[in-house]
Amino acid sequence: MKKYILRRVIQILITLIIFQTLLFVILDAQPGDITNLYLTNPKVTPEIREQMRVVLGLDKPAITRYFQWLGNFVQGNLGISFSNYPRPVMDIILERAPRTLSLFLTSQLISFVLGYFLGKQMAWHRDTPFEYGMTIVGVILFTIFTPWFGLMMIYLFGIKLQLLPIGKFLDPSIWRNVEVPANTLFYYMILTAAIAGIIYVVINLLTRKRSRTLRQIIRLAGFVAVIGLVIFAWKLTPYGYLAGDILKHMILPVTVSTLVSFAGTMLLMRNTMLETLREDFIMAARAKGLSEHVVRDKHAARNAFLPVFTNLIISIPFALSGGIITETIFSWPGMGLTLLQAVNLEDIPLAMGTLSFVGVLALVAHLVADVAYAFLDPRIRYQ
Amino acid sequence: MTEQMLQVKDLTMHYKTSKGEVSAVNNVSFVVEKGQSLGLVGESGCGKTSIAFSLLRLLPDNAEIKGGDIILDGDNITEMDKKELLKVRWKGISMVFQAAMNALNPIFTVGEQIVEAIQVHNQEINVAEATVSVAELFTLVGLDPKLMDRYPHEFSGGMRQRAVIAMALACHPKLIIADEPTTALDVIVQDRILSQLKEIQQRLDMSMIYISHDIAVIAEVSDQIGVMYAGRMAELAKSNEIFKRPIHPYTYALMGAFPSIKGPKKSLTTLPGEPPDLLNPPSGCRFHPRCPRATVQCRQEVPPFIEHNPEHFAACWHPMEVENE
Amino acid sequence: MQATSVQPNIKIPLWRVRLRLAWKSFKANWKLFVHNPIGVIGLVIILIFALMALSHPILMKYVWEPRVYDPVIGYDMEIFVHPSPPSAQHLLGTDPLGRDIFSQLLYGTRFSFILGISSALISVIINTTIGAVSAYYGGVVDMIFMRLADVVTMLPFIAILVVLSALWEFTGFTLALVYGLLVGFGGNSIVIKSQALSIKVKPYIESARASGGGDWHIIVTHMLPNLLPLSFLFMMFTVTNAVFAEAALSFFGLLNIRMSWGIMINTAQAAGYLLAGSEYLYLLLPAGLAITLLCSAFYMVGRALDEIVNPRLRER
Repeated sequence: MKKYILRRVIQILITLIIFQTLLFVILDAQPGDITNLYLTNPKVTPEIREQMRVVLGLDKPAITRYFQWLGNFVQGNLGISFSNYPRPVMDIILERAPRTLSLFLTSQLISFVLGYFLGKQMAWHRDTPFEYGMTIVGVILFTIFTPWFGLMMIYLFGIKLQLLPIGKFLDPSIWRNVEVPANTLFYYMILTAAIAGIIYVVINLLTRKRSRTLRQIIRLAGFVAVIGLVIFAWKLTPYGYLAGDILKHMILPVTVSTLVSFAGTMLLMRNTMLETLREDFIMAARAKGLSEHVVRDKHAARNAFLPVFTNLIISIPFALSGGIITETIFSWPGMGLTLLQAVNLEDIPLAMGTLSFVGVLALVAHLVADVAYAFLDPRIRYQ
Repeated sequence: MTEQMLQVKDLTMHYKTSKGEVSAVNNVSFVVEKGQSLGLVGESGCGKTSIAFSLLRLLPDNAEIKGGDIILDGDNITEMDKKELLKVRWKGISMVFQAAMNALNPIFTVGEQIVEAIQVHNQEINVAEATVSVAELFTLVGLDPKLMDRYPHEFSGGMRQRAVIAMALACHPKLIIADEPTTALDVIVQDRILSQLKEIQQRLDMSMIYISHDIAVIAEVSDQIGVMYAGRMAELAKSNEIFKRPIHPYTYALMGAFPSIKGPKKSLTTLPGEPPDLLNPPSGCRFHPRCPRATVQCRQEVPPFIEHNPEHFAACWHPMEVENE
Repeated sequence: MQATSVQPNIKIPLWRVRLRLAWKSFKANWKLFVHNPIGVIGLVIILIFALMALSHPILMKYVWEPRVYDPVIGYDMEIFVHPSPPSAQHLLGTDPLGRDIFSQLLYGTRFSFILGISSALISVIINTTIGAVSAYYGGVVDMIFMRLADVVTMLPFIAILVVLSALWEFTGFTLALVYGLLVGFGGNSIVIKSQALSIKVKPYIESARASGGGDWHIIVTHMLPNLLPLSFLFMMFTVTNAVFAEAALSFFGLLNIRMSWGIMINTAQAAGYLLAGSEYLYLLLPAGLAITLLCSAFYMVGRALDEIVNPRLRER
């Protein structure tokens, strides 16, 4: 098992280096001097441009620049943003990354849970209107054009029904005289969520050995209790309403993100469930006198889940891309919006830096998922 | 008087397919006594595995038991509701599956799966105690108890078969069905597994039903042999009876296809034709298209399954015995 | 005594035999395909779109006045305020720049088809070649390509394309090329390679080699025909993704394309009409719906094909 993890880590590191190299090659393939882009930018004076040339080592040969590029990357030095001069790119990324991550992780988690359960249900209720209906809904949601869908949702909920905000991270009017910076508050929210998540997982682990009904009751109660506690704790602080504001802004992006990605999981889960139910060990499980619930949930679903999980791993980059699109539509100030703005403003360091980050994120997510898969499928561990 | 463990009376089971109804099992009757083994032999598709699944009522949705009774140690399985059925499965009758490698769930350890079987039928027992039982079972079937914590893909074919046998024994069932227990194994391992099975059966005084298309295997392990053809039982008798005095022409042909080491050299008889399509089975005696002794009566009337000799049943209008006399 | 070689008396050329076999298997697969309602629906939608695409040049030439109905430079001077809602002359209304939306839609259909299919073709050519070559030669070649495929699969394409668009101006053609390249070197080649491997070990390959067939000959005449169904399958999904990617990038305003569905939405957004109210829905609806439907259609056909062609499912 350890060998497997080690091997994957090394592979990912190599991939990372290749990725960075590719970025360098693309960047370097630009004709002319990159600083020429800023001839028209009044903020960037000729002295600064000269400095940039030295820093970027544009007078040195390609190989030196390449290693400098790699070295910088490893140290976390991604350059200085032009559009937000003189903020370093890394700084900007660190500020915005948590927002992207929170959106991404939340929607992926919900999408996975939803897809898993709905897919299972579809397999159980084969050849019913429910199954056909969900298949159609699933295909549509899977291929729907995200910007269009997002805009329709904004229109519906934000403008027509006026229930939810139409975009952005927060409502400036509420935050006008607040001393606490929004980002700090956001970090605390993430922390709370993480703690709540851990507590819930622990509850789940502890109840593994109990009987089915007892387990479900405890887990449900635990879920409600944890959420109730979180809300209660936040209400006690003077910043509760601010956190609520941020949350309100998260609802629509997360919903759109989730709806667009759960269908893939759901449809695949249904297929793999049906295939797994035909396996011999399912018959053996029934022969042992296990109830249908146990046969389906414990024996069938967990096996059916493996290819679905693999598919999840493969679709991480698609999910990230989708996240970028969603962010842009909702003006959610995360990496996606940063990337787009950087590109529009021709802020190359920021664009490249953000892309590097997104790439690293994709690779790390891939690694985590691979290791998780090894836990789920014992056959993989022994390769 | 040995007691009856399993009594099957006129069992009939059909499958519904898109092309029509397949009569997989038709009026099959037999008795297995306590501590005795019955071997069901016949070509592929003759219904022997269908009988096995019917006994456990492990039938797919499109299958239905149309008639007959299955009585295990006094309890009528055909009339049980779902709850009682779950209790009878594995504890009353258990099964050693045909392709043992697929009978085990790949993501759980072998030990876990046997513990699961034990715990389903005994709420009181905890994991530690169940694990001890599993260790004992492993030793019984000739496996190192330490292998309990391994996953199925880490076992060899023979080891997996033994593990599946251990699992079948887990709840001390009254009857075990072994469905082609050695088909997927090579000859040497086959021999070992068979002798192990026979030894366990005798040691635990368990009743057993062996299912195989290989008459050599059946001959070795069964006290009683039932010959199946096209969903019907052609002949049923004690092993040596069947070999010495086969009554049904089909049985006779099967014997002829089985080379004898001791007896005189004679050419192997093969049976012309193919097993019938159970969607539209032949009228009357289902064997009549391939039977060298068939007459008009055989085509028109179904021969009754009667006792031609003491404890020797057959369904034939022109049994071989009569000829020999 | 000389051994004379026996010339088999075959009158039918090999290519015709192949064609006949291909036609037979096509018919058999078609029967399987139509069993799946999803695949049929997808195919019907694709056909409808194809008709739409084909009708545009005809309409432009014979029915419509180019000055008014050109999707890019048309302008209807008879209407005072643009954008205007659907009317008798303009079935879907006009966009903020005065151009007929219906004409744009049809033109966009043609564009999407060309973009999608050329992207898919490029990717499939690369994929299949890599898969076949990797399987056949093995060794270092195999390792390099598979490692590369691993890398490419892990990267988010749209993010990469966004950044690339800052450095290079993408036209429709270059986008198709780059996207095709990205997908071509990606994960599909791994699946194709394993399929190719299963062909490589078949006895007829051995005999082909023994009778003196060169490497390239074997790859092209024996392996490729068997890989084509799988390649075709992947093409379906690539079309879906390519159309989607172009639409998204156009929507962001990053592409140098004259007219496409994504551009339609972008135009509406740039002029501020997107969230302006329900009376402007006609600006958003056609393009978005078209993108969704075409992508869905190709996806559905892909799914239906998947069940016929995919070796993973066929093993059962």
